[in-house]
Amino acid sequence: MSFDLHKPATISEAVGLATRLAPAARYIAGGTDLVIQINRKKISPDHLIDLGRLPGLVGIAETAHGFSLGSLTNYRAIELHPAFQGRLSCLVEAARVVGGHQVRNIATVGGNIVNASPAADFVPALLALDAVLEIAGPTGNRTVGLEQFIVGPGKTELRPAEIVTAIRFSRLPDRSATAFLKEGRRKAMEISVVCVAACLTLDESGSRCVSARLAVGAAAPKAMRPKEAEACLSDQPAGRASFAKAGRLAAEAAAPISDVRASAAHRRHLVAVMVERALTMCHQRIVEERR
Amino acid sequence: MNAHAHRVAGQRLPRLDGIGKVTGKHVYAADFTLPGMLFGKVLRSHRAHALIRKLDISRAAEIPGVRGIITSADIPAVRFGQAVRDTSVFALDRVLFVGHPIAAVAATSLEIAEQAIAAIDVEFDDLPALFDPEAALDSNIRIHPDWESYKALPIIARSGNISGRARIHAGDVDAAFASAHRVYEHRFTTPLVHPGYTEPRAAVADWDANSNVTVWSNTQLPFDTQNTLAEILDLPAARVRVIVPGIGGGFGGKLRIGVEHFAALLARKTARPVKVMTTSEEELTSAYPRQATVVSLKTAVDREGRLLAREGRIIVDCGAFAGSGPGTAAISLQIMVGPYKTPALALEGIAVYTNKVPSGSFRAPAGPMANFAVESQMDMIAKDLGIDPLEIRLRNIVKEGDLGPSGEIHKSVSIEECLRKAADAIGWEHRNPEPGRGKGIACSWWMTTGGSSGVYVKINPDGTATLVSGAVEIGSGAITGAAQVLAEELSLDLTDINVAGVDTQTAPFDYGAQGSRTAFSVGNACLAAASDLRRQMFDLAARQLDSQVDTMVLRDKHVVAGSKSISIAELARISRLSGGGLIAHGTAISPSPAYDPTRLENHPLPAWNSPSYHAHAVDLSVDPETGSVSINRYVVAQDVGFAINPTYIEGQIEGGVAQGIGQALSEEIVYRDGTVMNANLTDYKMPTAQDVPDVECILVECASAAGPYGAKGVGEPPCIQPPAAINNAIAAATGFWLRSLPMTAEKIAEQLRAGRT
Amino acid sequence: MTRTNLDIVVNGERHQILIEPHWTLLHVLRNVIGMMGTKENCLEAECGVCTVLLDGKSVNSCILLAGQVAGRSVTTIEGLGNPEHLHPLQAAFIECGAVQCGYCIPGMILTAKSFLDENPGRRPSRDEIREAIAGTLCRCTGYRKIVDAVALAAERMSVAGSNP
Repeated sequence: MSFDLHKPATISEAVGLATRLAPAARYIAGGTDLVIQINRKKISPDHLIDLGRLPGLVGIAETAHGFSLGSLTNYRAIELHPAFQGRLSCLVEAARVVGGHQVRNIATVGGNIVNASPAADFVPALLALDAVLEIAGPTGNRTVGLEQFIVGPGKTELRPAEIVTAIRFSRLPDRSATAFLKEGRRKAMEISVVCVAACLTLDESGSRCVSARLAVGAAAPKAMRPKEAEACLSDQPAGRASFAKAGRLAAEAAAPISDVRASAAHRRHLVAVMVERALTMCHQRIVEERR
Repeated sequence: MNAHAHRVAGQRLPRLDGIGKVTGKHVYAADFTLPGMLFGKVLRSHRAHALIRKLDISRAAEIPGVRGIITSADIPAVRFGQAVRDTSVFALDRVLFVGHPIAAVAATSLEIAEQAIAAIDVEFDDLPALFDPEAALDSNIRIHPDWESYKALPIIARSGNISGRARIHAGDVDAAFASAHRVYEHRFTTPLVHPGYTEPRAAVADWDANSNVTVWSNTQLPFDTQNTLAEILDLPAARVRVIVPGIGGGFGGKLRIGVEHFAALLARKTARPVKVMTTSEEELTSAYPRQATVVSLKTAVDREGRLLAREGRIIVDCGAFAGSGPGTAAISLQIMVGPYKTPALALEGIAVYTNKVPSGSFRAPAGPMANFAVESQMDMIAKDLGIDPLEIRLRNIVKEGDLGPSGEIHKSVSIEECLRKAADAIGWEHRNPEPGRGKGIACSWWMTTGGSSGVYVKINPDGTATLVSGAVEIGSGAITGAAQVLAEELSLDLTDINVAGVDTQTAPFDYGAQGSRTAFSVGNACLAAASDLRRQMFDLAARQLDSQVDTMVLRDKHVVAGSKSISIAELARISRLSGGGLIAHGTAISPSPAYDPTRLENHPLPAWNSPSYHAHAVDLSVDPETGSVSINRYVVAQDVGFAINPTYIEGQIEGGVAQGIGQALSEEIVYRDGTVMNANLTDYKMPTAQDVPDVECILVECASAAGPYGAKGVGEPPCIQPPAAINNAIAAATGFWLRSLPMTAEKIAEQLRAGRT
Repeated sequence: MTRTNLDIVVNGERHQILIEPHWTLLHVLRNVIGMMGTKENCLEAECGVCTVLLDGKSVNSCILLAGQVAGRSVTTIEGLGNPEHLHPLQAAFIECGAVQCGYCIPGMILTAKSFLDENPGRRPSRDEIREAIAGTLCRCTGYRKIVDAVALAAERMSVAGSNP
């Protein structure tokens, strides 16, 4: 059950260790998923490589085009960040529902993404912002969209020894807003039954949709962007009819399962309801910001 | 009694064990260790019903660090249990549920013990299994083929898979149905729920040089545990000593033997102290949850909604062993009648075996399940007849002197006051303040469990008093409450009372921290001991002060005789020197009310001691699309007889309602084909701080005849009504009632959608 | 199994111990250092009774590897106050009747402390307090008096002008 715990001081040292110790080595960030999996004997790595000492991976930075989240930034830091209280509020709303304060003080956004649970709350919020990942690895650095990065339940296209170093997304244009909603069986400390993130941009008149990004979690093998639902909003009047249609299309695109938390039918129903509501919230927020 | 001033009893005083608990110094059984201790783990079955074809411990025994392994082959084939003695320590020739213990290992570390468990080879031949209690009633499959050979309480009626059947009947039900204005028939189901204490069950056992064993455990019933251990270990009870260092919640889930026997057996086998503690997974698969039930009610009413007759049946799924199933099935009948006058009754409670976890006595056994049915149906009847739900209850509730279900006489009745106060506080005139928002009420009654309590009290030369009781402080504050009674009677401060630890070797017998009885019963024992101590002090003071006993009172820690006085401390000092000290023994046993035995068949708890009455009212909102319920306000009006310590009584109400809200909305141990699907806290959903409102408590004081200063039992009632009150509020908000617990958002959303089409 | 050295500071005291790398901080606190004030239950970060402060922030010690906290500062309930000088949170919990069985209380107090220390001097609303303690389950109290206690402590701490 035990392993060797390594504490590299630089990214290249970490990557080197992972390459040398493969395949029985895993990176550990916050460890909130990994340690539980080890304790439950779901995985038994011989080596854990602790990323906690690596420089430059913690923090939230403004860039020329938007923001960069260091992959080892914890959720509490994200939920409290002043820059995310406005148009980017879906990030705060999603961060806030990841476990309780104790989990959020340790769990990292990068660790959560790589864990790739289909029910991860923060992934839909990042998908709605079209986030991209910066990745460092043995063959150098690369960039990949979050949507392509997660391929299935617990599966990403992370290559051996690679480390996600940052998550980037762009600032939103004027007349944009985001929203995140979650439904569960109780009001806190919950794995989502369904979660939804929406990002809406309206035209100059404020009455027509220019673009929308929707992301749905816990209703498919991976968090997904229902493209037909997004497309149906293009150039449509912002309002109940178009939002409800988007909800219906999103529900059709979902592929939920039945499990001990909810039935597939209920999840599909919630997708429709929550997509409509998230879009409505975005609309209200855009209207309020204009005032 | 010197009770009128109520300097101490009735005051909101801080509990005696608070400082230890907030500083981390309080030792719980889960914290308890001994030098040289080994760690024990239990091998549990992964099959629900199967013969054990092969059990081979040889590979496990070879693992370095393993010091002892035991199976059923190592111990006498004892069967124990309360109503039915059907339980063995380990599976004998077959396993009866997933989680059934098969073997136990002690090793030098927990990890090695776990490795050893995994290395025990077991092979099974599956047997047809029964998971549905209704199917089990008539099935030819026998979960206990030798059931007839089991000893049981004579009152219990058993046959086949039925571990107990009780009945209550009165009047002529058929005639009443025939002549009724309306007859209503409904069926309800409730699931298994876990008591949810945050401290796992734990025990450390150590044998001494004289082959006596001491077990430190977090049991609520140290004397019952002592007796059961003595049977299992084949020892006289006096050679078994049970000590409770501290307990992190019980709620009835830590009444019966849990891991103490494994610890004791392993400690005997290895000649080392052994600690056994449960994991979360073991708790959710192999503990003592509340029984799942099926409740069928057929109720006849007249034009004004007055109850004419009730025919009812509750099927209690007791799992693989009877446990408290038979008792729960029987008590359900009193809840099915409720605090209402019903002239004709034909009620039956049946406990039945299935191949699932044996269940237990989680807070108010029978209460929430039967009350969910009765109080939901009451509102359905009210709606159908066009009568206000509060009004229909007021028309039917008992009054002082009315007969209860067993023909007993209702006394100290306060149900009307409770209903009116709860309804008033919730703002009953506006039951639907806005769309999707509704208010509901539910009421009930409950017992104060009887059984005896003894205490020793000695006065120390510094003027403090030591209270020795066999009752465990499980968190309710009941022992602080009993100490308040003692302090009141001795003119001391609460902080002058030292409470000794619970130890079966030195404490007088106590029936246990269960059934809302502790403050009542230990309080009464303290009254008796205090009375004796007063007599001793007055006799001694009479000589010291040269005064007459009948001129004396106790005041301000002194015996006062006119203008003369002597301190209690001084009397204690003198008494020590001259005669062994001021020390008294007090005992209490609650009187059994008279009842009509002709109404009952095979009912082990026919009449309730000092019953309490209570009403709950809730204001909630239902999301019209997601079905999610948000509780806006929750009010409880509970008759506590006399509030010995209002702060901790409120704590019982607030906590009990939270448990009730969990049972109502989100908690369920989910079984599929005999296996628990949610055996972890990620998926067993107890309420967090964001799921429970600020519960508002109205303490009604309608004094009992038998309780200390008129107190009644407090702890269990608050978890009884929430499912029904919430169901009734959901109905007020949406127009429909649920028939099964938990009332999840999914179930509500489905009903909402069905209503629209 | 090779044990490695671990250097951590618990309640201001430095501990140098030998650990197996898979040992959690909770295991080290209770079973190696012998401090039982931090409690054990679900071992999967769902109940919060194992909560300690790591550099002042509440964390679940049951899923932190002891090795991850090398060189950092851990605060347990034993480091908060003592019977002669209770921390305002400890005193408020007793005063408000927020303690029943007490098993969740060490974790609950530290969860609350971490939250109050994020905004010293501020008095949070009851809803904010509920949100802050949602990660620590209590089965006894129904939370009302716990919220009362945290609110009372926050008030007293803001009046006193500093967070002890």
